[in-house]
Amino acid sequence: MKRLGVLIAGLVAMALAGPAGAQDTPRFGGELIFAVPSEMPSYDAHRESTFGIVHPMAPHYSTLLRVDPMDRSGSKVVGDLAESWTVARDGRTYTFRLRRGVKFHDGAEFTSRDAKATYDKIAFPPLGVASERKGAYVNVEAIEAPDPYTLVFRLKWPQGSFLSSLASPWNWIYKADILAKDMRWYETHVMGTGPFVFVEHVKGSHWVGKRNPNYWDKGKPYLGGYRALFIKDSAAQVAAIRGERAHIQFRGFSPAERDSLVAALGPKITVQESPWDCVLLVTMNHEKKPFDDKRVRRALTLALDRYQGSQALSKIAIVKEVAGVQVPGTPFATPPAELEKLAGYWRDLIKSRAEARRLLKEAGVPEGFVFTFKNRGVPMPYEPLGVWLIDQWRQVGLNVTQEVAESAKWFADLRGGDFEVAMDAQCGYMVEPDLDLYKFQSGPTSADPRGISDANYTRYKDSVLDELYVKQGRAIDLEERKKYVREFEKRLLDEEVHTMYTLQWHRIIPHNSRVKGWTVTPSHYLNNQLDTVWLAE
Amino acid sequence: MGKYIVKRLLLMIPTLLGVAVLIFFLMRVVPGDIVELRFAGESAFASKENLDKERVRLGLDQPIWKQFLTWIAGIVRLDFGKSMWTGAPILEEIRLRFALSLQLAIMSTLIAVLLAIPLGVIAALKQDTWVDYLVRIVSIAGLATPSFWLGIVFILGLLIVFKWLPPMVYTPLWVDPWQNLLQLIWPALAVGYRYSAVATRMTRSAMLEVLREDYIRTARAKGLWDKLILSRHALKNAMLPVLTVIALEFAFLMGGLVVTEQVFNLNGLGLLFVEAVAHRDYTLTQALVMLVAFVFIFVNFLVDLAYAWIDPRIRFR
Repeated sequence: MKRLGVLIAGLVAMALAGPAGAQDTPRFGGELIFAVPSEMPSYDAHRESTFGIVHPMAPHYSTLLRVDPMDRSGSKVVGDLAESWTVARDGRTYTFRLRRGVKFHDGAEFTSRDAKATYDKIAFPPLGVASERKGAYVNVEAIEAPDPYTLVFRLKWPQGSFLSSLASPWNWIYKADILAKDMRWYETHVMGTGPFVFVEHVKGSHWVGKRNPNYWDKGKPYLGGYRALFIKDSAAQVAAIRGERAHIQFRGFSPAERDSLVAALGPKITVQESPWDCVLLVTMNHEKKPFDDKRVRRALTLALDRYQGSQALSKIAIVKEVAGVQVPGTPFATPPAELEKLAGYWRDLIKSRAEARRLLKEAGVPEGFVFTFKNRGVPMPYEPLGVWLIDQWRQVGLNVTQEVAESAKWFADLRGGDFEVAMDAQCGYMVEPDLDLYKFQSGPTSADPRGISDANYTRYKDSVLDELYVKQGRAIDLEERKKYVREFEKRLLDEEVHTMYTLQWHRIIPHNSRVKGWTVTPSHYLNNQLDTVWLAE
Repeated sequence: MGKYIVKRLLLMIPTLLGVAVLIFFLMRVVPGDIVELRFAGESAFASKENLDKERVRLGLDQPIWKQFLTWIAGIVRLDFGKSMWTGAPILEEIRLRFALSLQLAIMSTLIAVLLAIPLGVIAALKQDTWVDYLVRIVSIAGLATPSFWLGIVFILGLLIVFKWLPPMVYTPLWVDPWQNLLQLIWPALAVGYRYSAVATRMTRSAMLEVLREDYIRTARAKGLWDKLILSRHALKNAMLPVLTVIALEFAFLMGGLVVTEQVFNLNGLGLLFVEAVAHRDYTLTQALVMLVAFVFIFVNFLVDLAYAWIDPRIRFR
């Protein structure tokens, strides 16, 4: 009973708490200790795709633009090394004025040459150099540095999301001189302009950074340093926070873990929560019968009671919001009333499931039809969502067998098309339709002459959808872009049901109440520079 | 004795070669691909072009027999290559974790031996008394309790009772012995208890067997002191199977403590092993398997030597 009281008090405190430290005066000094559930394979963020590189290493670097660290929607772009910018009337030329007096950690001055060399590496990597997100910059025609403090991007066509793409948390600014000598130097070394200087990395154990006294933003950072502890096991992460061996873990905890921390530590814990720009998708292989029939795919989504699922699953798993292709609460998200018109989002469940049964019958799928659902062998949230999906499909007369594959095999099977219906995942580093919808393009790519895009495991061809992707990307007007995103969403999830969104992930960050100046966003890749973070007494 | 040692050492070579062939080809049979795992992940932007480039860089585009020969040639030169996942030299990856795993294995073994041998002997001497029953209950409980579960109990107990958690970063013994012990004593106790349970039962049954031997009866008939009979005749002979159990358990600890390392967040070889397999890091997994195989074979070799020392009949056979 006492524990319940503490839990309720804690949750009330959590609900009342705003972004940490909004009204307080920052305090200097102290070492922030945080747990990181993954570790970077190399030190070069341009080539990696794990948050295990961003959390411990982002504090060493700056980006050209960044997402406002106090913006909960994770979509407001502000300058980092760029002080200001202008966009030409045709929307194809972006000119950035860069900050003066910014120093690399070795004392060298940052100029536009460094920014150009960095973006050349990302957008036009030389042979043998991998650039993970090169595909996001296919529109870049040229990058110019007309003077030391001006950087110009020339685009092939106007792109509404271009500023956001320059705020990517992966695009750390590297030093041109180093890149000129060795393009792969950054895979094993650290040299940035960020708020913290590299001190030590002990593989499998920890990463340490200390305050950069020459950081361009005078007065920041507040922390004297930070220490990232690589802790893979979630129970050990919880224990670390509970035992005050760590202040925070920036990726997220499950509801049960949050509750246990709140119950154990009461007011010593502050909880920040947000919809998470990650989602598990149900991928139906269009090359396997009967999933080549859109009536069957539609029936599969109509069988889902997402609203009840949200209520039940959000108590035990890191999923919560019922959403379309954009994170709720962000600029391009579909309003609930509109979302309810899409297949599988209807409020009338009886009607929805009756329609599902009718469609299955019409498509010749017999009662008790057996198929295999391939799930990934990762407990959270794949396991509870898999169980939920199978139960939902059973209620429209489908008999589903779950096959759980460990990650490497699951990836191999998805890529190779060795599945009927499978769980797929998408995690964005920023809520932005260009990034979130990229996966669903089906048009021919230079990499795959069969015309199936590399991450489109569903293996469909839909030129209408591809055209809508292009239109939304080139629309400069916000309302016009929203319209195309809606059309895209309707075609993807309702008309063709190429794929299914389950439930939006929900990010839960219970952290030591001493941690101030950090705001949760919908992406665990964002807001890791730590320049605004401080530790209260 | 010298001939015996040389013979045993030479026997290691075909065994290690067999392990090398097995692990190399088994890793290639397991589905999944390091390049897809690392560069595709949950990202939508991984292109086939990028993935192919990486395969070439890692040498995965080469014929499998060529990959095998390159690897074996490296082993002969004691060059295990680089980790495919991190790009760091494999010896460096292992060196970082080896000290912790070795220390934990030694500490656990010490705890196990200090518990098991006295308890096993007492239980045998006091067979079917309450002392024997108590020792048996304790040792059966140890067998039935996974060390990681005991580890969780320790952590929760420390957190709830003392509001304290062992340090989460490894400090080498020679840097700060106190910090080092504060971190490693708990997993050593958790592992050592289970380990001691196995050894206690083996000590008890070996002692019971030896105590019924003719030469013990003869020693008693000659009027030798009980203590002398026990230490000089019974214990030495009973130690043969116990030594084997202790040695095999020790070898297992070098790389086998996966869950315990997770629970205590220890940067040891067990976790490295699991991650290497999960990442399909062929080079690192192969090197770790070879290391563990070598430890097993070497420990067995030492046990054989100890056998020969304890029981002269073996070396003269």
